[in-house]
Amino acid sequence: MDFKALAGNTDTSRRQFMEGTAKTALGVSMATTYGAVLGSKNVQAQEAGAAGGKAKSLIYIYNSGGMTHLDTFDPKKNNKKVMGDTETISTNVPGIHYGSHLKKLAEHADKIAVINSMSSTNGAHAQARYQMMTGYNQRATIVHPHIGPWCEKYFGKRGDLLPDSVIVNRGTSNSGYLEPALSPLPVANPTAGIANSQIMTSEDRFKQRMEMSLDMGKSFVEKYQHYSSPRGYIEFYDQASRLLSSDELEVFDLSGEKDRQKYGMNNLGQGCLLARRLVEKGVRVIEVHNGGWDMHNGIQDSLSSRLPPFDQAVAALISDLDQRGLLESTMIVVGTDFGRTSRINDRAGRDHQPAVFSTMFAGGGIAGGQKYGKSDADGRRVGDKKVSVEDFHATIGYGLGIDLGYEIYSPSGRPFVFGNHGKPVTGLFG
Amino acid sequence: MKNPPLFLPVAAVLAIGLIIPMVSEARVWTSTDGKKLEAIFESLEGDMIQMKLRNGQSVKFPVSRLIADDLEAAKRFALVGDDAMTMASAKKIDLLLARNLAKSTDIRSFNERLPDDLFVRRIYLDILGRIPTREEFQEFADSAREDKRAILIDELLASPGRASHLFNYFADMYRIKDTGVARELDYSPYSQWWRDSLAANVGYDEMVHQMITAKGNLGHNPAIGFLQRDEGMEFDAFSNFGQVMMGIDISCAQCHDHPFTDWTMEDFYQMAAFFGQTQRSMGSYKGAEGKNVRVGLPGAPEGWLNKFQNYAVKQGGINLEDRNERRQFGWYKTALGLNVVDNKRIDIAIPGQIDELGGQVVSPLTLYGENAKTGGKSRREALSEWMTDPANERFAVNIANRMWERAFGRALVEPVIDFPMDWRKHTGQPEVLEFLGQEMVRTRFDLREFMRILYNTQAYQGISTYDRDVDEGQFYLFQGPVLRRMRAEQAWDSLLTLAYGSKIDEVKGGDGSFMREVLRVDFKKDSMEEVFAKYEAYKKTRNKAQKVLVETASLKAKDPEIPVVDGIKMVRSSNMVQPASAASMLSTFGQSDRMVTDNSNFDGTVPQVLALMNGTVTTRLTGSSSQVVEDLSKFDGPDDMVRGVFFTMLSRYPTENELKKGVDIMETYGEDGIRDLAWALLNTPEFLFIQ
Repeated sequence: MDFKALAGNTDTSRRQFMEGTAKTALGVSMATTYGAVLGSKNVQAQEAGAAGGKAKSLIYIYNSGGMTHLDTFDPKKNNKKVMGDTETISTNVPGIHYGSHLKKLAEHADKIAVINSMSSTNGAHAQARYQMMTGYNQRATIVHPHIGPWCEKYFGKRGDLLPDSVIVNRGTSNSGYLEPALSPLPVANPTAGIANSQIMTSEDRFKQRMEMSLDMGKSFVEKYQHYSSPRGYIEFYDQASRLLSSDELEVFDLSGEKDRQKYGMNNLGQGCLLARRLVEKGVRVIEVHNGGWDMHNGIQDSLSSRLPPFDQAVAALISDLDQRGLLESTMIVVGTDFGRTSRINDRAGRDHQPAVFSTMFAGGGIAGGQKYGKSDADGRRVGDKKVSVEDFHATIGYGLGIDLGYEIYSPSGRPFVFGNHGKPVTGLFG
Repeated sequence: MKNPPLFLPVAAVLAIGLIIPMVSEARVWTSTDGKKLEAIFESLEGDMIQMKLRNGQSVKFPVSRLIADDLEAAKRFALVGDDAMTMASAKKIDLLLARNLAKSTDIRSFNERLPDDLFVRRIYLDILGRIPTREEFQEFADSAREDKRAILIDELLASPGRASHLFNYFADMYRIKDTGVARELDYSPYSQWWRDSLAANVGYDEMVHQMITAKGNLGHNPAIGFLQRDEGMEFDAFSNFGQVMMGIDISCAQCHDHPFTDWTMEDFYQMAAFFGQTQRSMGSYKGAEGKNVRVGLPGAPEGWLNKFQNYAVKQGGINLEDRNERRQFGWYKTALGLNVVDNKRIDIAIPGQIDELGGQVVSPLTLYGENAKTGGKSRREALSEWMTDPANERFAVNIANRMWERAFGRALVEPVIDFPMDWRKHTGQPEVLEFLGQEMVRTRFDLREFMRILYNTQAYQGISTYDRDVDEGQFYLFQGPVLRRMRAEQAWDSLLTLAYGSKIDEVKGGDGSFMREVLRVDFKKDSMEEVFAKYEAYKKTRNKAQKVLVETASLKAKDPEIPVVDGIKMVRSSNMVQPASAASMLSTFGQSDRMVTDNSNFDGTVPQVLALMNGTVTTRLTGSSSQVVEDLSKFDGPDDMVRGVFFTMLSRYPTENELKKGVDIMETYGEDGIRDLAWALLNTPEFLFIQ
């Protein structure tokens, strides 16, 4: 199959043409804006902070709904009033305690850094989640990109066939105001792989059909040979065909993985396993979404259903990456909408609490065995060293080696920086 | 001439033409006995046709007196109006375009006329939003009539597919979203208001008037969906209003003076003040003196909500001890209370955190032009009058520019959401845009008629060019439309056409009637029993995708059920829940998620290609129960089969070379050859493009 003859012969022309494809999507008037950004880049962060920039990949596990901080990473020992039935357990680091459900993670506390002083101003799920995913507050006039597209814009595409960023357990993704080509690949179900990647005929017949289609499509593509968009499709057919016949798709096939059970046979566990496999293939940013954390009613029941799989999956991920020597270059982050109230309501649940909550970091240059910041005695407000959502994002950016002052422009000409001018918590890094 | 004879000899027609000015394109009608009449069609009622003569006089006569072609024209005009002004206007546009084209150094003239086969595909995609079926393609190809393009344009404009496809455009522009909008309410009545208004071809100015001045909740008046779209984010709502209705993006000036244009923060808040007394929901608002004002349920007598709650408790409708039931009830109250009224007690001030202007209440002032006349009217009424006044050229130019973009793939002045105030200097065809603005006003914002004009231009009917050929800093002069990739909706509706044929045009989707009914409460007249029945229905169906009929005496509303075949919802994009599910093929092909204006994208991706190669619709199309394969296998001989596959998939004739190759395939693989060829053509880039 001679896709390249149709799409342009050399690598240079292919690259130019791919840039062209990206630009055309946003209209001629924006090309100049992007042109300016595509120019020389000032990657200071890597040099400035020696500790940052070690993370080559990011696995961002997102507990949707609002993870209770008191029952997980910020338990209040001897404060029965706020703790309910959750006990406090010791970890493998003296002086650091987790909630009693996180037994497996407790064995990896030496690799984990927790922020106990996260604080958000958003108490509604959609708005809080939006900011935790993008670093920016939700507006009705613009859509901000998630971390994956931003990184691809900043660093350039890393892989050939596989995308730079993947979103697991979600059916959709977008690239915000950036070029649509930077949209992460959505994988709605980690065990089902990429949608429509099963060919419906024998491989031979598929190849025949593909050749037929190239042959029959030639006249059209030649007629518009100077135009990037039809040629773009030739490129995508090329990539898709190569993907279907390559070994790359195997990364999505978890069936032969011997450690499957270790991660837990659920969407989070298998999503984390898929994330590890993608990291091994060089994928830069993987979001793994995990729902069911909006625990207004009967929180103890919810905790016993949500926390053990979470504990198991993240612990398995940390130890697996560690054993494979990938933990130093892979940053694992656990985020959530907000925390939950210390008051247990009349339905034995906890309600929303953005004023203080916790997030977790491991790997990618993070110095484990520490807790950063404090909530107050009852876990209602920040007690010490408040970390905003912007700071949280800046910390991730710092770990990935992004220059936090580097501006990217939206098509309307508005400048944006990674983390919205937040200050990275450099103390988390070793 | 007091009583002119109805039909005059041709010579007399010409003679009158010299004396009384009239549109030169007026049709010359011929009677069955060979006489001629130059006149404009007015109406067809029963058997009687009414026409206007050159002298302004109207005449009526039995339609049976017309020859067959004219009878057909009369029936067509009965649906879309006479085309004399349409054709005159199309000619004028061509003339204006040609003048600037002739002045250019390299292009000089229009592109060559698009061949008929490519034309029929383009016009189906542009008007109906889907490819033609093989039968529809052949019907057009077989017609020998010279005016067959104009006839087809009229027929398509009169068919229900027109509104369906236009809806997709506005859904993207106005960010139409059924779920996940204010307070998680189901906004399907608002989507349906758009569908209904477009199907009835309501003037665009009238639609805008209804949106700006709407009162009530979604049950009383679904047009309030526009004002509720950004409920709780009133200033963002105003920014979006500026983008869609004026083509001005003033969002920067919400927080600081606009860096690239002259808009200041004061400008922003002064114009936003037209919505400053718009109460969108119950709750707390700022009053004129900066004090908080609590506002209750509009239109309801004092204490109505409490009374209703007590009634509901008594009937066993809510158990106040149960938190979930309390919340459920709260949602219903909230939904009733998302009720737009003008309230003079409130007056929104500039937000406090914004430098020295913070806390100030400003009086309404339009961004440009003579200020809206507020005397005796609500601010929104005044704004609506100002906006839709023919004197507000920008309003007409804005929608004309967008409709032009729909037809030609590029707007005359860009970007459409924020084109310069001195737009005449920022387009290569200023006279055309100016004329289009006037035509918008002349046709009374009749978008069907406006599109009919554009589709009848020579410029539109030429082969496509590629706009990126234009050097930076130069304007595209519109020697033809530009090559476009299908919108996601066109791709989906076309695939559906391949799998199920043109009957998909008739399939109805959810129409919001259920939500409309449960929220349509007359707080003064309805008995508690009636409202309670609505609440019970609402409670049972909340959060369920399919709104079911709830058996109560007063409530009979039900959304139509969508047919599912092979696991695919057999419904066109416009009739789906808006926007389509994120996991759907529509999302894969770039349907807007409706978060910001004009957010569709047209880029290729690997998942799109995979969907065309291996997706469910492709499986259906080339599978064992494929209607297409069954129909084509009955064709006589491989030549006709190959042509049939080309007609079906690409709506065009195969080239000699393609025919030869196709015949080889048929001869080698038999019936499977049809499947292979259909698959192959579906997977050429040509399929996704509008030439």
